[in-house]
Amino acid sequence: MMEALAFDFFRNALYAGLLASLICGVIGSLVVVNRIVFLAGGVAHASYGGVGLAFFLGLPVLPVTAGFSTLAALGMAWVTLSARERADTVIGVLWAAGMALGIILLDLTPGYNSDLMSYLFGSILAVPDSDLWLMAGLSGAVLLLVALFSRGLLVMSFDLEFARSRGVPVRFLHFLLMGLTALCVVMVIRVVGLILVMALLTIPPFMAERRARSLPGMMLLAGLFSAVFCVVGLYLSYALDLTCGATIIAVACLGFLVSLAVPQRRQPATQRGAA
Amino acid sequence: MNIPALEISNLWFAYDGVRVLDQVNLVLPAGDFLAVLGPNGGGKSTLLKLLLGLEKPGGGSVRVLGQPAGQAGGRIGYLPQFTQVSASFPITVLGAVMLGLVRPGLVWFVGRAQRAKEREAALKALSRVGLAEEAHRRLSDLSGGQRQRVFIARAIVSGPELLLLDEPTASVDGKSRQELMALLAELNRDMTIVMVSHDMSTVDGCVKSIACVNKTLHLHADSRLTPEIFAQAMGVSLVEGCPVELLAHGPVPHRVVLDHDSPDCCGGAHAHKKNGGPSA
Repeated sequence: MMEALAFDFFRNALYAGLLASLICGVIGSLVVVNRIVFLAGGVAHASYGGVGLAFFLGLPVLPVTAGFSTLAALGMAWVTLSARERADTVIGVLWAAGMALGIILLDLTPGYNSDLMSYLFGSILAVPDSDLWLMAGLSGAVLLLVALFSRGLLVMSFDLEFARSRGVPVRFLHFLLMGLTALCVVMVIRVVGLILVMALLTIPPFMAERRARSLPGMMLLAGLFSAVFCVVGLYLSYALDLTCGATIIAVACLGFLVSLAVPQRRQPATQRGAA
Repeated sequence: MNIPALEISNLWFAYDGVRVLDQVNLVLPAGDFLAVLGPNGGGKSTLLKLLLGLEKPGGGSVRVLGQPAGQAGGRIGYLPQFTQVSASFPITVLGAVMLGLVRPGLVWFVGRAQRAKEREAALKALSRVGLAEEAHRRLSDLSGGQRQRVFIARAIVSGPELLLLDEPTASVDGKSRQELMALLAELNRDMTIVMVSHDMSTVDGCVKSIACVNKTLHLHADSRLTPEIFAQAMGVSLVEGCPVELLAHGPVPHRVVLDHDSPDCCGGAHAHKKNGGPSA
């Protein structure tokens, strides 16, 4: 690991992984407790259209994908609010349409070659400094927004009906959460790729949910799990010469299995375990 | 207090052009304990949503605590249906009750002093429902009946004048149900209570009046259960003299219990056997 850290690209990979972990812990927790994992999957796949668009227009990939994904996410948020009973179907359509658009645009792009795979499975070993800064900026913005609206997000996540009865603007918060999910997805695409985005968004929060005593606690714990998976996955992929993104996810899945096997602290009525 | 808790006049509401509520009129004095009964799809929940301002009426007027619906905020305590909350949500009992102090709007900056005050109010509400001991446990570690009392604590933590309860006794066992009703009777000394229920057994001593909602609303300013009330509440026509007949069966044919016309049943005293009714 130490000799690997001497390489710029490896250090950048490490920073990218840690940034992604931080943001996945926060947004993934909100996604899991609000039960919008399917929506997040829709956004992740539709964002591929953004990648295609960026290549086709010859523009920088990350900003274009971020814009495209945010629009797709807001569209899906609107569909879930206005046509609730058919929302899952419509999201399935957008899911497929985004991916198809991305591939067709890449086909139409002259001189395009190998980057397709890197966006499907991640290209964490090729994160340039500029992308790292952009990721840090996005993380900061996402964290700031979550902190600013934290109480509303908490009330809404816990009990939508009650939140609405108290005049909490749940419509706005739903759009906000979908927008933040889109930004998060775009960041994580860099690290583990589009196909495996869902794993980082769901596995660490799932493991954290049963062990935390508050939503911020869950976010912190999920971020921590995520960071461990990224670091261990990166090291293993370096040592064993494996694909980074896939190795990180393999480690996460292993952690998931171990977490299922370790009994969670179920406190009987008499004994109260300290947190 | 002279302002009625609820004033509803000529209210109607339609989903997709079909009126689910029509010509609803009600004046409920402060301090009352109203049970709202009615068949599923009869408009009970819609009425509650109109009172909370979550739905806009098609016509007519709704005033809650002297204000238009949806503006009374923390003066109304609300207990949504039990199923709304995910069982594994990471939150402590105290944290859940403190959420009842949320204010409308988007951004809240809660200072230390304010937070301490909120904690204190939440602890007070918890001790009122008899759960002060459990304040620091995870909500998911509590039993169904206890959890329901936590949500009642959340509803009363803002010191409301009116408590709106949606099926408070659904999905809790018989003993917890009795405890809940005793708690509500105690709370009724300080606040008006409106309780939507399809569970007739909740209508016991503590309820002061009954409203049957089945498209329109019939108020019975008396908690005595009469055959008419049962007939209205179950959405069936009054064919039998015995309420339990309607309660247990509605228009469904007899299978478990003997028909009341049978000479073997009750001997006229309506002493029903315990295995009486298939519940819904």
